[in-house]
Amino acid sequence: MGLLAAGIGAGIVAVGAGIGIGMIGKAATESIARQPEAAGDIRGAMILTAAFIEGVALFGAIICIILALG
Amino acid sequence: MTKYFTFLSLLIVVLFLGQPTVLAADAETESESPIDIMGTVADHDYFTFFGTKLYLPRLFLWQDDNGSTQFSTYGSTKKALASGEFQQVDYIITPVNGSMLIDFSLTSHLLYFWFGLGALALFTMYAGSRYKKGIGASTAPQGALQNLFEIFYEFIRDEVAKPNIEGDKYKKYVPYLFTMFMSIAFMNSFGLLPWAATATADITVTAVLALFTFFVTQFSGTKDHWQHVFWFPGVPLGVKFLMIPVELIGLLTKPFALAIRLFANMMSGKIMIIAILGLIFIFNDMYGSAAAYSVSILSVAMTSILYVLKLFVALLQAYIFTLLSAVFIGMAAEEHEHDHEHDDHIHAEPSV
Repeated sequence: MGLLAAGIGAGIVAVGAGIGIGMIGKAATESIARQPEAAGDIRGAMILTAAFIEGVALFGAIICIILALG
Repeated sequence: MTKYFTFLSLLIVVLFLGQPTVLAADAETESESPIDIMGTVADHDYFTFFGTKLYLPRLFLWQDDNGSTQFSTYGSTKKALASGEFQQVDYIITPVNGSMLIDFSLTSHLLYFWFGLGALALFTMYAGSRYKKGIGASTAPQGALQNLFEIFYEFIRDEVAKPNIEGDKYKKYVPYLFTMFMSIAFMNSFGLLPWAATATADITVTAVLALFTFFVTQFSGTKDHWQHVFWFPGVPLGVKFLMIPVELIGLLTKPFALAIRLFANMMSGKIMIIAILGLIFIFNDMYGSAAAYSVSILSVAMTSILYVLKLFVALLQAYIFTLLSAVFIGMAAEEHEHDHEHDDHIHAEPSV
């Protein structure tokens, strides 16, 4: 049961993080297309925001690992 | 202030050394699975060099039943067990008569942690000696290594420190951020060597690195930083009390997220590679050698692509760790304009 919960949980975490990072990528490429001269700043902000989302996703992933091992 | 930081960092290093380490199973206990996935990421009591195992010394500080404290050193785990004074329970060494106080043993991850710092020290001392001679200071930098040093240093100074830490304060933090970036980058890249261990794929190593950032952040915090923690400005009285635990948790989740992010990224890369290569052996066991040969074409190709990705991730994660450290330090060291209503200034600080 714990294994099942861990597997489903990891999948949901991946979906959430994927949607989030996908939206960042969409917004970043759109804004770079609009204003190519600001590409450097936008890329920095993009990586930073993606790192925050990744952090939340990894919290979930760690809980899943604990579930699977415990 | 600098002396304070030095003392603090030494203290943390000592604390890190004192962590009892859980060691992975030795190859003697042959498992049923043809590949040992967790064994590649776990900490070991030996150091692999071109396929040869060099066993590392074990150092124990322990207390015997009479209450006297003893310090014992052994050449390897086997010698410690052979002496009869120690026993092994689930890979953890404990004294037969008494209790373990601190297990100071060297492990492969600790060794690669030192290699990372040693490589960083050599690299910076080399560059420093060149600048002392005047190369690069009065002329253009010469040689590949010195140019590489300048690229990294200027990148950290201009792209990481300057935009995130306001005013002239950033100058104080450039050495710290550069040390963090280069040591993590070296440790991550050492992990790419086939026989080596990735020190950053160990939660204790990344936790110590994140603790450094935590303490540097708190000690560079201004009055405004602490005011935001304990008496959040610009909100009603009841909410102020509500914000105290939220902000306190926020202080702790930042280093926690830093540690988990680096650890999970480096560990997942290693596990992915060993799992895809392990497909060859699993197919060999289940369907015979012909299937294994055909799978190996796919496995090796995918592993090669993953290795390139891992090289990119190794540098990217070092950059993200440093960037987030700079952002956290910048938020703490920020000084707000005084004597103004905070109503228009409630900014949401990211907590992870």
